[in-house]
Amino acid sequence: MRLRAHPVAGALALAVVGFLWIPILAVAVNSINQDSLMISWGGATAHWYTRALHDPNVRSGLTTTLEIALGSTLLSLVIAVSGALWWRRASARARAVYDATVYARIILPEVVFATALFFLFLKIHFPLGIAAIIVGHSVWNSAYAAVIIQARLVGLDPAIEEAAADLGATPWRAFRRVTFAALLPAIIAGGLLTFTFSFDDVVTSYFLGGNSATPLPLVLFGMIRFRITPEINAIGVMVMLFTVTLMGVAVAVFALMGSAGRGRRAALAEFYGR
Amino acid sequence: MSGVSSVRLSGVEKRFGELVAVRSIDLDIAAGEFFSIIGPSGCGKTTTLRMIAGFERPTQGTVEIAGREVTGLPPYRRPVNTVFQSYALFPHLDVFENVAFGLREARVPRAELRRRVAAAISLARLDGRERARPNQLSGGQQQRVALARALVNRPEVLLLDEPLGALDLKLRKEMQGQLKDLQREVGITFVYVTHDQEEAFSMSDRVAVMDHGQLEQVGRPEDVYRRPMTPFVASFVGLANQLTGRVAGPAAGERYEVDLDHLGRRLAHGPPGLAAGTAVSVVVRPEDLRLTPADTQAGPAAATVVDAAFLGAHRTVRLDAGALGQLVAIGQGQSALAPDDKVVLSWADDDAWAVPAAEEG
Repeated sequence: MRLRAHPVAGALALAVVGFLWIPILAVAVNSINQDSLMISWGGATAHWYTRALHDPNVRSGLTTTLEIALGSTLLSLVIAVSGALWWRRASARARAVYDATVYARIILPEVVFATALFFLFLKIHFPLGIAAIIVGHSVWNSAYAAVIIQARLVGLDPAIEEAAADLGATPWRAFRRVTFAALLPAIIAGGLLTFTFSFDDVVTSYFLGGNSATPLPLVLFGMIRFRITPEINAIGVMVMLFTVTLMGVAVAVFALMGSAGRGRRAALAEFYGR
Repeated sequence: MSGVSSVRLSGVEKRFGELVAVRSIDLDIAAGEFFSIIGPSGCGKTTTLRMIAGFERPTQGTVEIAGREVTGLPPYRRPVNTVFQSYALFPHLDVFENVAFGLREARVPRAELRRRVAAAISLARLDGRERARPNQLSGGQQQRVALARALVNRPEVLLLDEPLGALDLKLRKEMQGQLKDLQREVGITFVYVTHDQEEAFSMSDRVAVMDHGQLEQVGRPEDVYRRPMTPFVASFVGLANQLTGRVAGPAAGERYEVDLDHLGRRLAHGPPGLAAGTAVSVVVRPEDLRLTPADTQAGPAAATVVDAAFLGAHRTVRLDAGALGQLVAIGQGQSALAPDDKVVLSWADDDAWAVPAAEEG
């Protein structure tokens, strides 16, 4: 869209982009600002990064976050892959029901699931903490993973497992060498996505963490309430870089899958072209 | 042909709940034979093939391959390989690994594996495409990968499920010739399923015609075409003009005298043992129907040309023969015919073949 041709829309667009990016820019700038009150530019320093990396709260928060993200990713992938394999052979009606539960977990507000699980865990005396957060994150993470993996599964010829069996593969070998191997790009992409979502989650972690588990976003949250220091900015920038890198890898994997799709279209075009 | 049986089905039946997909089939396929199973969709031909492959277990009866009973064995323990209609190539593996799949499962030593895969790839004329993924290949190339992937394992029997169905006509014709040559070269028994009778005829030593889960007839292509045993076979295999009538009695030269409706007594060949009074359809193939131009619409064997279509090598003439219904003639010396021309029908007695009429008729 040419901004000059649509002055109102153009101004709005610029304002939105400004509101989105100026705070992030400010965070990045202040993370290397020597002025600890962040009122003016006091020259560049890496001091806040060093401090953040040596802060025991930040370090334990990061460890907790990584444990949760890893645990939730694994649990979500197991749920999503086994669900997808069932889905492939299910009746149209069973599929519709399953799809509805998947989309419900994506659409319904996170806070609803978080409170529900909170009361459930209290009732069954499941201790709040890392395990509880992993379960909580997996509620929506498994749904995102399911959508990605099912998309790949739909493109697979159902006959390939029969072909593997026909060529001498036992059911387990056929699964490993054919179904799982063909799904692997989608599993990797889904895993990266769920890891990222889990990494920066606040709501579910807040409800289900109890006293024992404080992941990094909640550490930041606590620090902000106490006092805003440039250290927080440094942590923010590091989390941002980490997340962006993971998303970049995910996008690259998607692009590879996509290019395979284009190759198929090109082959079809070549085939029908003559 | 050694006469040894490669595939033997005895009393094989397959039910899916209420539906009977295949009913009590007995079939004997000789080693080295190119055998086709043809029939309309839903006739049970693919189910039969899948029971040989091991994807379906018969509800009743036994399956033997190379003299060994395999009825209860899963596909991965049977000495057969399949070329799937959709090819079912592994999308995440390149051509070489697709072809090598079966040999890797069989733990064939590396040097031998390389040699055999290379040979199969050459046989399928895919040299230079070893590292291509299936989605980078044309339809014809994918088809040949599927073939190489199956043949490299040197199966006792190669099963082919409409393998040319996804190809365009020109490529199909080309591949038919190549398949036949290939089968002669490797000497493996081919069991070929198709709904295309011409395709089956052009390649097969013998064909089986199926309808509604039943074997209607098994025989050499000429026999099935020239001597159909049921009205279904007569109409499914090529075009057939069917004239109704009743057997009057046997005649000289293994023939019958038949009273044709509206046409009177004629001679016709037929299967042995037709009793007098049996309702029959007398089949006259379009290429055997002779048309003589006539001035007037007179006599029971008269007809009017509806249209004459030019098809290159020959012409197809559609006729309205009044009470005899719509008939078709193909071929020689009809180039002068135009719509509304009057003709008189005739045929040689040897070209008429009587089939017992369907029960409901």
